[in-house]
Amino acid sequence: MGIISVEHSDRLYWLGRYSERVYTTLKIFADRYDSMIDLEEDEYADFCERQEIPNIYLSAADFARRYCFDEEDPNSIISNLTRAYDNAIVLREEIGSVTLSYIQMAVYAMNKAKQSDAPLLELQRVRDNIVAFWGIVDDSVDDEHVRSIIKLGKRIERIDIYARMHLDKKEMKREIVKLNRRIDRTGLHFSSKRLAHINYLIEEDVLDHEELVQEIEALLE
Amino acid sequence: MDTRGLCQYSDSVNELLARYGVKFGIYKNNQFREQLFPFDTIPRVIGAEEFSFLEKGLKQRVQALNLFIKDIYHDKKIIKDGIVPEEFVYSGSGYLTQCEKVMPSKEIYTHISGIDLVQAKDKSWYILEDNLRVPSGASYPMIARDLCRKCSPQTFHGNHIEDNRNYAKLLRKTFDYVNTGGHTVILTPGRFNAAYFEHSFLAEQTGAHLASGHELTVENDHLYFIDYSGKKEQVGAVYRRISDEYLDPMNFLEESVIGIPHIYDVYRKGNVALLNAPGNGVADDKGIYYFVPKMIKYYLGEDAILSNAPTYLPFYPEDMDYVLTHFDDLVLKDVAEAGGYGVVFANKMSKQEKEDFIALLKAEPRRFIAQEVIDFLDIDILEQGEFVPRKADLRAFVLMADEPMVWKSGLTRFSRNPDSFIVNSSQGGGFKDTWVLSQ
Repeated sequence: MGIISVEHSDRLYWLGRYSERVYTTLKIFADRYDSMIDLEEDEYADFCERQEIPNIYLSAADFARRYCFDEEDPNSIISNLTRAYDNAIVLREEIGSVTLSYIQMAVYAMNKAKQSDAPLLELQRVRDNIVAFWGIVDDSVDDEHVRSIIKLGKRIERIDIYARMHLDKKEMKREIVKLNRRIDRTGLHFSSKRLAHINYLIEEDVLDHEELVQEIEALLE
Repeated sequence: MDTRGLCQYSDSVNELLARYGVKFGIYKNNQFREQLFPFDTIPRVIGAEEFSFLEKGLKQRVQALNLFIKDIYHDKKIIKDGIVPEEFVYSGSGYLTQCEKVMPSKEIYTHISGIDLVQAKDKSWYILEDNLRVPSGASYPMIARDLCRKCSPQTFHGNHIEDNRNYAKLLRKTFDYVNTGGHTVILTPGRFNAAYFEHSFLAEQTGAHLASGHELTVENDHLYFIDYSGKKEQVGAVYRRISDEYLDPMNFLEESVIGIPHIYDVYRKGNVALLNAPGNGVADDKGIYYFVPKMIKYYLGEDAILSNAPTYLPFYPEDMDYVLTHFDDLVLKDVAEAGGYGVVFANKMSKQEKEDFIALLKAEPRRFIAQEVIDFLDIDILEQGEFVPRKADLRAFVLMADEPMVWKSGLTRFSRNPDSFIVNSSQGGGFKDTWVLSQ
């Protein structure tokens, strides 16, 4: 096994989080955008509120453009993808050139989508590359610690977003089961007490989403 | 041999290079940008016999340079014997007093040397420059070859081309030979360095750990890498991709924030190998270049196999006379500059510029060398679907373990500007693969 510095373990974790954030927010965005076409024009306001991001957008069209492609907006999908790339680019030694290339291709696809008249079609390629990235992490990253840290970041991000957006509880439960299996393999320090509480929360009949978000965010602190 | 067969795959190869992030960083208007390094698929081809000649000459040159550095920091015989004037040694910025009497592991200074050559129209090769500090560039033809082979396997089938993807193995052998016990680390200034792609790619390919200065620490005269669980792992070799002055703020430039405090003390005690050794700049100064054939004779008792470009040192009165008389035919180089900067062609200067330059030359003769302009052999590149000739050089890599090893390939850099001899990537140049034939 290789040796991983504190900085690189942190970057692996955030690579997992940001790549998942891009993937899931794109997925949610595509669904919401579709319903905004003929239903509620201001549905994006609810999206912003749940995501705890400032609603700086002027209209659904403005939201669609800037939330996806505004590099000056730190909450935009392109900014999150840039952060995923910024983490990945310094991890070539740990994850390998082939794995890194899928994040690079997601960046190219995002830039192409930005120039396109039909960005939703091009944004699908961003998601395709991220799915391929996850696949290749499983397939070609040999070091279990490296693989586990990235996947831990992914799990935590997915649970976080799903809880914020009040999405499918079953999916959250599945992710929490995976989180339990994965976290010990990372070698990272985490709070067992919080993990137990997360396990308790997900079994409750009425899920306290806010509490789950707080607990998942503090798990590694 | 049809070397143009790959051209139809040019776009595919360049797309793959982009996919794998084969870039270099550049600062323009105080902003960092990553730029793709333009690759031309038509390779430079060097025959087996011709390369064997180059190989002998390169090994000879690097061995002599290694002996020169060792001599300068220890016995100084070459100065005492009047072969190299001391002014050229001690006044250059590459000489470091801190290196006096410090012997590196296995007495090797020049672990990785990048020797720049050009081929003249009569097919003679000339050495243009020795790069003995942190020469970069080997990763580019290495990855380009891999991608070209994927795009067009038939081009490589049966053509007896030496496989250049062994560079990482040679480098690993070089690391291991001098390692004093422990891990090998590639020390990078970080992501915003121009050659960061290369640092990370070589770490991946050699299995070394890529680290920044703050990830390493010195304790009890040893160097350690601290992992994320807090465990300290001893480091026995550091392939440092940062320059001497930034290596250790306690021994060199105090304001360096990318170095490792006291790493040089660990090195001095023989507890870690630094590749390349600090202080090598004393031998790759453009002024010292003039003396390399004399070094070869002095240390090895042999005539230099590879020639320097005809060079004049205005420091010597007779050379100054020649330079002033033949000024318009010469190229002048500031010995302190690198990367294609500080190079001026006299015939391109205005009258006023010439007068100013000559005044500067007379005031600071040690600062410049003058060379005859070699009429480079043009090499074809593919530009917008057409073959056009461009100036190109070759950076050959010589690695030193128990014996010198010449990598059977090299970085061929070309100028994209038809009127320019400057091939550096930082000035818009591109690169080609270099095929060495095995028979």
